Order: sequence, then C-alpha cells, then structure tokens
Amino acid sequence: MSEVPVVSLEGVSKSFNGVEVLRDIHLEVARGEVVSVLGASGSGKSTMLRCINWLEQPDRGTVKINGEHIGVDAQGKQMSVRALASLRARTGMVFQSFNLWPHLTVLQNVIEAPVHVKRIPRSRAVEEALALLDKVGMGHKRDAYPYTLSGGQKQRVAIARALAMAPEVLLFDEPTSALDPELVGEVLAVMRALSLDGYTMVVVTHEMEFARAVSDQVVFLDKGKLIERAPPERFFTAPESERVQRFLATHR
Amino acid sequence: MNSQTWLLLLEGAWTTVWISAVSIAIGVVLGLGIALVRMLRIPFVDQLLVLYVSIARATPLVTLVLFIFLVAPTFGIVMNRNLAAILALTLNTAAFNAEIWRGAFLSFSKEQREAAMACGMTPWLCFRRIMLPQMITVSLPGLVNEMSFLIKGSPAIAVIGIVDLTRVTNRISAVTYEPLPPILAAALLYMVVIYALIQLQALAEWRAHRLAV
Amino acid sequence: MENWQIVWEARDSLISGLFTTIEIFLIGSVLAFLLGCLVVYLLEQAGPWLRRALRVAIDLMRTLPFLIFAYLLYYGLPSLGVRLDAWTAGLIALVIYHGAYFAEMLRGARLVMPAGGVEAARACGFHGFTLFRRILLPQLLIRVRPLIGNQLIYCLKDTAFLTIITVNELTAAANSIQAIYFIPMEAFVAVIGLYWMVSIVIELLVKWAGRFGRKRGFDHV
Ligand SMILES: Nc1ncnc2c1ncn2[C@@H]1O[C@H](COP(=O)(O)OP(=O)(O)OP(=O)(O)O)[C@@H](O)[C@H]1O
Ligand SMILES: [Mg+2]
Repeated sequence: MSEVPVVSLEGVSKSFNGVEVLRDIHLEVARGEVVSVLGASGSGKSTMLRCINWLEQPDRGTVKINGEHIGVDAQGKQMSVRALASLRARTGMVFQSFNLWPHLTVLQNVIEAPVHVKRIPRSRAVEEALALLDKVGMGHKRDAYPYTLSGGQKQRVAIARALAMAPEVLLFDEPTSALDPELVGEVLAVMRALSLDGYTMVVVTHEMEFARAVSDQVVFLDKGKLIERAPPERFFTAPESERVQRFLATHR
Repeated sequence: MNSQTWLLLLEGAWTTVWISAVSIAIGVVLGLGIALVRMLRIPFVDQLLVLYVSIARATPLVTLVLFIFLVAPTFGIVMNRNLAAILALTLNTAAFNAEIWRGAFLSFSKEQREAAMACGMTPWLCFRRIMLPQMITVSLPGLVNEMSFLIKGSPAIAVIGIVDLTRVTNRISAVTYEPLPPILAAALLYMVVIYALIQLQALAEWRAHRLAV
Repeated sequence: MENWQIVWEARDSLISGLFTTIEIFLIGSVLAFLLGCLVVYLLEQAGPWLRRALRVAIDLMRTLPFLIFAYLLYYGLPSLGVRLDAWTAGLIALVIYHGAYFAEMLRGARLVMPAGGVEAARACGFHGFTLFRRILLPQLLIRVRPLIGNQLIYCLKDTAFLTIITVNELTAAANSIQAIYFIPMEAFVAVIGLYWMVSIVIELLVKWAGRFGRKRGFDHV
C-alpha cells in the first residue's frame, strides 16, 4: 500500500515509575480502517491509545498522524504546545467516563472546540453540530445540560463532540464500560454507523461481538506487548498465540 | 534590632495571644450555647439570634471594638480597654462559631439518635454521650479555622490603644526610626502562631475525616 | 432623638466615608479576584520553581493578619524608598492579600476537580489560556461560588483596618463624627447598619450569580 497510514506507532515504549507498560509497539491504521484493541485489564490498552494523541508521552518510539510526527519532531525535538494542540485537534477521542464539560449545554459542548480551537464561524459550527447531534440521535437535547442526560446519551454527545472536529481518526477508550447494560446498545449502534461512514477508528473495548462484527483488524495487548494482529475472522477462530486463545476462552 | 526591642515585641505578642485566647475560649462555648438555643426554635429569640449572627458577620472588628469601647461610658459603664477588646472579639467569633456548631448539629444523623433512644437513653444523655463528642470532632476543623481568623483580626484592638503585636511596631519605630525591622519581626511572630493553628486544623480535619468513614 | 438629627446633619461625611469604603472594596476585590485567577493560571502553566514560589507567597498571606501587611506597605516600604499614600497602600494591600485567598480557593477547587474534562479539552486541541478561560475557569468559579460571598465580606471588613493607617473610610467617618459631637452610639450604629446593608447586597448578588451554576446541575449552589 502506497497510501500513508492515518496512525502509525513505531517502537513505542512507555514506563510508569520504572514499570514498563508499553514495550516496542508497532501499529499502523490505514484510512477507513477500524482497529479493535483487546487485552486484559492493565495490559496497557488505554496507555497505547493515549500515546496516539500524546495525552501520554512515550519514552521511546515515534507516533505519526497522517505521516506527521506528533509530540517530538523527526529530530527528536519537543514540539511547541501550540503545534501539539493543533495536531491533537485532528484526532477525536471518546472516553470511558464521557468527560462532557458540565458548564456547557449539549450543543455548546459540541461547538466549543470548533469555535475556539479551529476558529470556525459560530453559525457554521452550530449548523454542523446540529447535523452531528441528529446523527447520534441527540438533536432533541441540544439545550440540555449534561447532568440531565443518561450515560448512553452523554456518550453519544461525547461522540458528536469528537466528530465535530472532523478528525482524521477517532479514538475510543472503552466507550461502553461505564454504561448500564441496557444502554450499551445505543452507543454501539452509533459506532457501527460511523464505521460504515468510513471513519478511521481505534477502539479499545471489551465488547467481543462488536469487535468481531465491526473491525477490520483486531490487535491484542499482553503486558504491554502487541502479541497478535489479525482480521476478526482469524483472530476469533484461529488465533496464533496461546495467550489469546486463553483470553478468548474466558471472555466468551 | 536589639534585645530591648525584641522584648517589647514579645510583650506585644503576649498581649495579642492572651486576649485572643480568652476570647476564643469564651467564644467557642458561647457559640455552642447560641447554636443550642437556636435548635430549640424559640419564637422571637430565634429571630433575634439570626439577626445577631448576620450583623456580627458583617461588622468589621475595628468598628466593633471602637463601638464597644466608646459607647459603654455613655451608659455609665467604665470600660477597661482589655475588657472592651475581649468583648468585641468574643461577640465576633461567637457568631461564626455558632454557625459551625449548628452545621455539625444539623448534619447529625437521625439514625444515630434513634439508635441511642432505642437503647433507652434519655435525650440529655444521648446529647452528652453520643452527639456532643461527635459534634466536637466534626466542628473542630471549622473552629480552629475560625481561631486563626480571630488572630488575624486581632490587630483591630490596636485602634483603642492596646499595644498588641501590631501596634508595638509603631512604638518601636518611633524610637528607632526604622519601621521595617519591627514590622517584619512582628509578621514573623504572627506567621508562627497562625501556621501552628493551620497545622492543628489539618490534624483536626484528618480526625474528622476518620469519623466520617 | 436629637442625636440622630446630628447624625443626619453630618451625613455628608458618612456618605463620603461610605463612598471611599465601597470604592476601595470594589476596585480591591475585583483586582484581587483577577489576581487570584491569574495565579491559578500560572500554577497550571508554570514550571516547578515558579509554582513553588507562588505557593509560598499564597501561604505567606494566609498566615499574616491583613493589618500587618498593610503596615508593611505603608510604614515599611518608605525605608526602601517607596512612598505610597494611605489609599494606594491600602488598595495594594487589599489586592495582594485577598488575591492570595482567592487563589487558594480556586486552587482547592482545582485539586478536587475530576481530570477528565481537562483531558477531553486537550484531546480536542485546547491548550494554554483558551483551555483555562473556556473550560477550567468556568467550572472552578461554579465550584467556589458558595465561598465567594464569604470572602468578599471578609474583604469588605478588612477595609475597616485601613482606618488605622489613616484612610478616611466609613469607620474613620464614624469615629470623627463621634469625636466632634460626642454621639458614639448613634454614629456607630449608623455605620454598622451601613456595613450590614452592603454585606447583604453582596450576598444577594452572589446568590443571584449562583443561578448560573444551579441551572447546570451543580448542587449546593
Ligand atoms: N498515570 C499513571 N501513573 C502510573 N501508572 C499508570 C498510569 N496510567 C496507567 N498506569 C499503569 O499502567 C498499566 C497499564 O494501564 P492502562 O490503563 O493502559 O491499562 P488498560 O489496558 O487500559 O487497563 P483497563 O482495561 O483496566 O482500562 C497499569 O498497570 C496501570 O496501573
Ligand atoms: Mg483502560
């Protein structure tokens, strides 16, 4: 493939207080691809995801968004805060705990970054935000404050907020783990629709069904090492590593 | 600064400390009394106390000290400076303490009272043995915080001519013509006292927190 | 009731005292508040050394009585060649002293604020002052709202200390009226009443401002 991958991690390692959490991770995500990240708790999934938009700073290795270095440039020099922020603005992130801004309404949450980071005219931002809110089925709550929403509704607004930046890649960190079981479906449905729209997505999840049905690639992290990468059919039926076989046996 | 001026400063510090300490002691007890009376919700008395707390919270200490010291003689009461100072500081701090005690009172869980009653305790016994010990633990951080505010407000008593730790710096510089050293030294002494109280407050907070969990 | 007549006739000096008090309180508390916000912004952005220095400065103010700080500026600074008039010295003292308290209040709110909101803002490309102004500060303000009224009233009361460094504010006005006409009772009751009224207005305004937070589901607002 000649096209530049949207996300590429090369030899990324990271330790917290001397404990290696990520070891020499290599990962490429092509445009339009959906990659699911599986692994036991504490295996470093969130850390890897957060390294992609440099919320976590790797100790070694390089991260590129669309071929552009993020965090440190090719010479290993620290980027300016401003440059880093404008690169981050090209990714969208959805968190386990939603992290909506409580002082803003649903609509304001969605247009906040487009207006104040990307400096899009407000009227255009509103127009686009309303379309996105409709897309996630939250148009009717545009003027509600986050505290009035259910978990599933909050997460759908958070997804709209991430989409509003017109990101080149969407990063999801266990978007349904904090939800009551009956609310999981509505969020997964939105994510499935996004994958059909051709969004590039990296999804950390424990939803095996979703990973199987929606992803193009599944990767598996074990103690900070990326030990398996395969299309879902192969990953779920004939994984190479014995570790993955055991993981699947306990998570069915 | 020579030892003479340090001695003067320490004398001023002593004045500040003893007047504050007496006011704190009376103010804490008086505050509890006010809080208890307010819990009884006696008509008229209750409104009166609300008014007192509200006015006392808004009145600057300087103004209150002057008021008490100057008004007493018009009623034919001979008011000694120190007494006026203690009265003013006490009236001020008791209002704040009353609110702190009341907060602890109101947050006391009904279940505990019921448990005590179920054990056959009389209301008075329940108050003394169950409520009061917990109220003290819960209120202590607030009370200690209020103590440091009282000391920070205590220079107000200088306005009626009491030579406290602040005023004494004027005395010293009138002789040495160097105001900066005594002021800095006084500041240092204040810092020592108030810092100690802040530490005490942290300790009290830790204990109160332990009670909560 | 003759004495009240005298107070009424001397109202000009009371009013000018009240005006000075309100003027110094308003300018002082607004600037102190802005200073507090600035300090918290710097705590957010600065390197470890500046952060430590700011923390020490805040703690210094918190362990000092306001009056001794005002003394330092008014009586102490001239020995370093800086001579301020009483009004200016008092105002600067008020701004720095209460700025430190505002900063401490906001810092406390920052400590207990969940990290997620800021992280989400970073992920959206917010940084620096925009992040502070648009995302952090509004939430901090909503959280400290119940404390702001109290702090403002402390600030109002501290202006009375300035009478000791010869600022002609409200308490000074009462004192001079009582000294001239020998009516301490009436003069001080009037002045305490005025302080009380100002503090009630402050509390009403703060409560009114609290609707902003209540609408957004922040409890105890
Ligand atoms: N900020 C941090 N400081 C110190 N240790 C951290 C930090 N963040 C993560 N860790 C540690 O790094 C390891 C990997 O954490 P990470 O959150 O990436 O795991 P995860 O795979 O996302 O787990 P989970 O499924 O529980 O979310 C864990 O042992 C965690 O304790
Ligand atoms: Mg995780």
